[in-house]
Amino acid sequence: MASSTITQKTVRTASKAFYFNSSAHLLRIGQERAGTVAELLAGLRACPEDSIFQHTFRTLEEHHFIREGFSNDFAHWTFTVCKELALAEQLASVDVREFTSIKALRERIVKIVDDYIQANPGAGDRPAREPFYFCSSEIVVLPTAFMARNLTEFAQGLTQVTVHCIHHHFIEARLRLKLISNDFSLWLQEEMQLPKVARAVESIDIYTGTLEDVRRRILQLVAGAQEAL
Amino acid sequence: MNKKLMELENTGALQADNIVGEPALQPAPKIEASAAPAPAFPGQERRKKPRISETPPAPAPPPKLDDYERIIGKAAIDEIRFLASSLHGKTVKMVNSTAVGGGVAEMLNRLVPLLGEVEVPTKWDVITGGNDFFELTKAFHNALHGGSYHLTKEARETFLRYNEQNQQRMSFEEDLVVIHDPQPAGLVSARGGNPNARWVWRCHIDLSNPNPEVWGFLRPMVERYNAAVFSSPSFARPSAIPQYLIYPCIDPLSEKNKDLDDSVIQRVCDDFGIDRSRPIVTQISRFDRLKDPIGVVQAYKLAKQYVDCQLVLAGGGASDDPEGDIVLQEVRAAAQDDPDIILLNLPPWCALEVNALQRASTLVVQKSLREGFGLTVTEALWKGKPTIAGAVGGIPTQVIHKLTGALVHSVEGCAYQIRYLLTHPEFAKQLGKNGREHVKENFLMTSNLRRWLLLFKILSGTAG
Repeated sequence: MASSTITQKTVRTASKAFYFNSSAHLLRIGQERAGTVAELLAGLRACPEDSIFQHTFRTLEEHHFIREGFSNDFAHWTFTVCKELALAEQLASVDVREFTSIKALRERIVKIVDDYIQANPGAGDRPAREPFYFCSSEIVVLPTAFMARNLTEFAQGLTQVTVHCIHHHFIEARLRLKLISNDFSLWLQEEMQLPKVARAVESIDIYTGTLEDVRRRILQLVAGAQEAL
Repeated sequence: MNKKLMELENTGALQADNIVGEPALQPAPKIEASAAPAPAFPGQERRKKPRISETPPAPAPPPKLDDYERIIGKAAIDEIRFLASSLHGKTVKMVNSTAVGGGVAEMLNRLVPLLGEVEVPTKWDVITGGNDFFELTKAFHNALHGGSYHLTKEARETFLRYNEQNQQRMSFEEDLVVIHDPQPAGLVSARGGNPNARWVWRCHIDLSNPNPEVWGFLRPMVERYNAAVFSSPSFARPSAIPQYLIYPCIDPLSEKNKDLDDSVIQRVCDDFGIDRSRPIVTQISRFDRLKDPIGVVQAYKLAKQYVDCQLVLAGGGASDDPEGDIVLQEVRAAAQDDPDIILLNLPPWCALEVNALQRASTLVVQKSLREGFGLTVTEALWKGKPTIAGAVGGIPTQVIHKLTGALVHSVEGCAYQIRYLLTHPEFAKQLGKNGREHVKENFLMTSNLRRWLLLFKILSGTAG
């Protein structure tokens, strides 16, 4: 009798399901505004943390469809309105995913602007063509209908959720987790025992791709992991 | 003889085929293409007899929330329904100054039924007043935009008297009351009747540089509200109450924005003598100096030295604006006898034609010198059109330079962008694609509904 080999795919089941959530934001207009780079610096020091969040993390979500050339509102304003190109480049290089607290992110941005003004006397007081308006974000977390206990369900959920959900789990998450990671990677690592996939997900570059690109890339990585299991 | 310089006069009886330089003909009946004799060149016959209705068509029933699913997806619709679910049992009242005409009424016509559909029952009331009141509030409107105005004691009393009369006529038992614009702002004195109610002042106009007398009069009323809502951070005033941003929006399912079959676009272009085989640059706006139609003609002429194109300037509403006729004459003079400049003065119910013109365009221009939010820009972006626009009002919120369109500050800048985008179609296409996504994310009716629900949750303490 000829022996036959039956290959059975392993289906890993998570002990903790992944619950896809999303978030909705309403923009609140702040009291601070800046007409010069020096006033921007003063505003950066005085504004509430919600404002720093709005103009960095949140603005990425508002402009999630842009593949290149948009990073945060401070860089955009200093580039397009103030024409302080070197400052804009430095501000644009700030990757929000390196930060697990708004406090640290604020310190980094303040240092860049402060150093620039010190090195470029006169730049701080040049009037901008349009003011910068500090705003903040009020957030409501929304549950979705999607939940995953295995990779197939995870991929199904990820295919169907909104980009707001992807932003919530992939970008905003680090402020909640206080970790240089994201909800997807944590779940893939801890529940699916896929540390390489988790790292690959975390290394997706959000500044050269859209949130739809992020979705596609994660789905590719998950599909690859399913093949390998 | 310039045969393409055409105007459809919006003057009571529509002079639908008044071709500049030729005697005006009588209003033409609708003529089917098949009934027309063979044209000497494509579109000639129908251009003379465009099928524009002489009366407004009956309004279409408002869409249902699920109708938007094919545009924003099921998950986004589910998020809206979830947001609304915690507001079930809450009631809302919206108050403005007109039931028909104008952007606010157009928006409420869509928003109010959608709020009802997600079980947040919303009542829409319209204030009444005599001519003296509406003349006064028009003067207020201009003054709040920065115009000079002396506020008399009589004017104050007239404003307060009509607000008081409307307050007596209305009831305010709802949990959330939204008052739109300055005209009914004084109704806030009724808020004592329901101390738990939350009142919102929704200001659709730009208050960045208001007449101090008029703003000084209105400000104490505004600060009795729980919150104010503006269309752009630059439109707001420093204030003691929380101020939120809710962008104006367009309805992707409306006559002006819905998808069109190419045959409809072709028919409209044929009717108006527009050649779709050549680049089309279009500005849709009323003939108003602040929209700088002459600057657009100048930019087109500069660009035309390098690239072939036609210019379509289409607008309407000039009949109730005495200056509109003068501006139209000035534009006509600036256009001279260029056969590739097509002037269309359309009646306000030509939404379908405007939609088709925008979709037929290679580029859309909105070279305003001053602007509110600029919803014509939103419409163009939604149609995926590379858009060149003046960096004024709410336009920079929509047109992010070189990412979702091109911002310009001069005739020369506008001309350069026309040349550049017509000769770099791939870049232009990417701008159009980004622009559409920007509108989808931020400026559609569904985003507007989502933001109102969020505001209601925040104000009613159910935001969690």
